[in-house]
Order: sequence, then C-alpha cells, then structure tokens
Amino acid sequence: MTQLGKDMRDKTAISGVGLMIGDFPERTPLSLAVEAYQRALADAGMKREDVDGIIQLSYGSDYDRFLEAVGSDVRYANQGWTHGRFIAPMLQQAAMVVAMGLAKAVAVVHGRKRRAFGQLADHEMWRQGLGPHGESPAYGAMGPVYGAAVAAQRYFHMYGGSNEDLAPIAVALRKHARLNPLAVRKDPMTIESYLKSRWIMEPLRLFDCCQNNDGGACIIVTSAERARDLKKPPVYISGMQGVHAGPQFHNLTLPGLGVAQQEVYKYKPTKEDLYAYEMAGITHKDVDALITYDAFSPLVLFGLERFGFCGPGEAREFVKDGRIELGGELPVNTSGGLLSEGHVVGWNLFIEAVNQLRHDCGARQVKDAEIIQYGSFLGESIIFRR
Amino acid sequence: MQPSQKMRDETTGRYLPVIYPEELPYWEGTKRRELWLQSCKACNRAWYPIGPACPKCFSMDFEWKRMSGRGKIHNYVIYHKAWTPWFESRVPYAVIQVELEEGPRLTTNLLDVPPAQTKIGMSVEAAYEDITDEITLLQFRPAKG
Repeated sequence: MTQLGKDMRDKTAISGVGLMIGDFPERTPLSLAVEAYQRALADAGMKREDVDGIIQLSYGSDYDRFLEAVGSDVRYANQGWTHGRFIAPMLQQAAMVVAMGLAKAVAVVHGRKRRAFGQLADHEMWRQGLGPHGESPAYGAMGPVYGAAVAAQRYFHMYGGSNEDLAPIAVALRKHARLNPLAVRKDPMTIESYLKSRWIMEPLRLFDCCQNNDGGACIIVTSAERARDLKKPPVYISGMQGVHAGPQFHNLTLPGLGVAQQEVYKYKPTKEDLYAYEMAGITHKDVDALITYDAFSPLVLFGLERFGFCGPGEAREFVKDGRIELGGELPVNTSGGLLSEGHVVGWNLFIEAVNQLRHDCGARQVKDAEIIQYGSFLGESIIFRR
Repeated sequence: MQPSQKMRDETTGRYLPVIYPEELPYWEGTKRRELWLQSCKACNRAWYPIGPACPKCFSMDFEWKRMSGRGKIHNYVIYHKAWTPWFESRVPYAVIQVELEEGPRLTTNLLDVPPAQTKIGMSVEAAYEDITDEITLLQFRPAKG
C-alpha cells in the first residue's frame, strides 16, 4: 500500500449521475451521451463550466465530437477501449485525475445504440488469435455469451451443479428490477419460468443473458470537499483495484477454470488480490451490497468467489435461499443489474451504487447502506462509501 | 496461399477465418490435412493462439512443428441459437475446446457426434473440413479405437 494510495481514500466523490435506458429509435449515441451529461449536471447542481475533464469509452461518438457538441473545452480528456470491463478503470482514472489536480471535475460519459454504424463489435471477433470472449466465427463460436458459457461449463465440471444453479441469480435480479421504475425487464420470473426459457447455448438459457438496449449515462467525479457543497450528498470513492488481465484471466471467466489456455486450479483471492479493501480500510464483511458485472448470470458466481464472499465452488449454493436478494445476507445488483435493469455497458451498475448510498432507492433501498462494492470477475473493483 | 481479410463467403454466407500473414504455415498445414503449430526452440513447448513469441519463456526463436492431432475435449458448449442464417440449418451444434497431447487448447467443432453426446474428457483426433477452395478448417472427431 503506497502513501498516495492511503491518501486517496474518500478524497474524491461522485457528485452527479444521469442515466437513460431503453429504446431510443430516433436518437444517436451522441445525443444520448449529451442528454445524460445534462441530467448529471442538473443532478449535481453543476454547470458545464464547472467540468474540466472528460473521459469515455470508444462507444458512440468520440470525445472530441462530444465536446464540440456540448461546447466545452477541457484540460483533461481521455478515451478508453470499448467493453464493460473498462468502465471501472475509467471511473478510477477520473478519481485519480481529480486527486492529482489535473482537473477539478471529470464527467465520465457514455452514449450507445444497440445497433449503430461502425461499431467495433461487428468485426472484433476476427482479430488475430481468438475474439475478446474467445470467439471464432468460422466455427460458429460467436457472441460474447460464448465466453460466459465456456466458463460456466468448466465451473460445473469442476464443482458439480448445472444450469439450474443459475436460476436463483436470474430470479433474484428480476425481483430487484420489478422494484426499479427504469428497468427494461419487469415480467415476473420464477425458477419454473426460468427453466422453461429457451437454450441460447448450453449451459446457458435466454434468461442467463442480459438484454442489449440503447442507453446513455454520465457520472461526475469531483473532490470530496467540493462535492460536499453541491446539491446531493457525496458518494465517496474509498478504494479501488484494476482489471486483472493475462493468460490466467480470460474474459468472462474466473482464474483457474481452465478456459482457453488458463491453468486449472481452485481460485481463492490472496491479500494482493484484494487491494481495494485495504485501500478503503474494510473487509468484505463491511460490504452492504455487492454490485457486479452481470451481462450473463454465471458472472455473479465468479464475482462472489473473486472477492472471497464464498469459497471456490461455493457460490452456486450461496446464491440460493434469497441470500443475494434485497433483505438477504448480501444483496447483489439491487437495480436488477444488466440482466434485468438493462445493459448500459455497466455504467448503470455504478449509478445504482450511487443511488443506494444516497438512500434514494425507494422500495429497493438497502436499509442503512453505508458501503457498496463494485467488484467483478476480473478483479476490478471500486469501494463506494456514503 | 495468401493472407486473406475476407470475413464471409459470399456464395454460402458462411463466416471465414481471417488469414493473418504469420499464420500461413498453420493454414498451409490444414490444407494438407496436417496440424502445425509454433514450437519454442528454447523451452520446446508448443503454443496457441499463433503469435510472435513463446508465452511461457518469451523466446522469439521458434519453429513450426507438426502436432499429433490427438487430444481430449477439455470444454464444450452447444449452440441452439443461430447467429447467422448459415447456422440456421445447423443448430444445435457443439463448439469444443480440445487440449492437444502437446498442451495447447484449440477451439473447433466436433464432427460425427450428436451434440448431446459431447463429453469433457472424450478422446478426439484431428479432422479437416474444406470450406472454400483455399481454406481448410481444422476440426475434431472421436478418436478411432
């Protein structure tokens, strides 16, 4: 733990958020991003003149076009690579930029259409080697879901269980979505109706997969001091750790499952694997709710085991009996997550953490929530505190 | 054989592999119904996916070696949804990851077996499927005997 790392704790905060989820047939990604930005500014009680940093992923319009559209010049701009696993590094960077004084306030913005001209995902699976989720189009190994399906299959092979073990995850998140006015999937779901949903790719069914939709999101990060003077209570950034990557960290997989060229072993996090807790001065026992990247239901199992909420192979029992539901031992993805609230590349997951810590979540509020962790299967994490 | 950036066969609609320049020995091998991979001259290990250096010892001194073509199914999924029209008449089909005797794991389909009979641990051997006049795909089928 470095001195700077220690000093970082609670020095930056989220002051404003804006979110749009659904179908916006008449809109472009740029227009969704700009409206989300306007909403976040209004939420924070800030003006565009207060924002001098901009960070985004390479979905939708580029950063320069966005800034042109909002008529702002900034002194810090960056654009990261597309994909949900890079949202945490982007938000972390915003906090570090503010902490270092490179900008006073950074807006992390996002606008994306389900289908739009020139999207990278249309050809990325043909990159040299295999695609970003292990795709190989000539063999019909297509779609991001492939990465989650091969991981789930290995998980069941190593630890026992089957597709049925994923049902409690899909059902829990649907229950949460039904308490969320913004959620796109709100039809009731039971274990029985889950098991009747069609196979997409064994061992995964339709209800194991998120729904892709249009969306816009914006999160404004500023100093803790500044945030305290703004309209909404600050949500502090207490700790963080990065996306772990390499041959042992294949996408949509936990280390040790033997996907692609991964070694086969039972993964248990070490102290080094849990830097974010150290930075925030907490342990997983202090976490009031876990928000994890859930584009596909098996990722919830992996997120739980990655941070030691349960041991290797134990998550499939842990998710049963309402333990991950609101009111349970560890509520997970209280908005309904990507599976049922909707897929805004994960930005909506951060925004749920903010809304929970503002105690603004109404029927789905986690009582007295103080600390919420975003933590996903590749190890990326942000600890949020009220 | 030449590198190719064609992503789709316009006659059949089937997706094709992009043939990168450094991968030519692999594709020339499959055309001859042989499996060739890079093997490290420093540590003697074969690797996949094809790349410029040995991922184990980081040596760039390698040679192309013919592999046994024998291995075991290490993982599989069964596609029920057809991602493109070409696959509509082909679902359900299995995508498998085969662990070769030499170590690397390759992603292919499993031929000659109903998808529901796919099992982790099944012994398989290399098979070859001509998908265009130029390109032959490596596939696997159950090992004989």
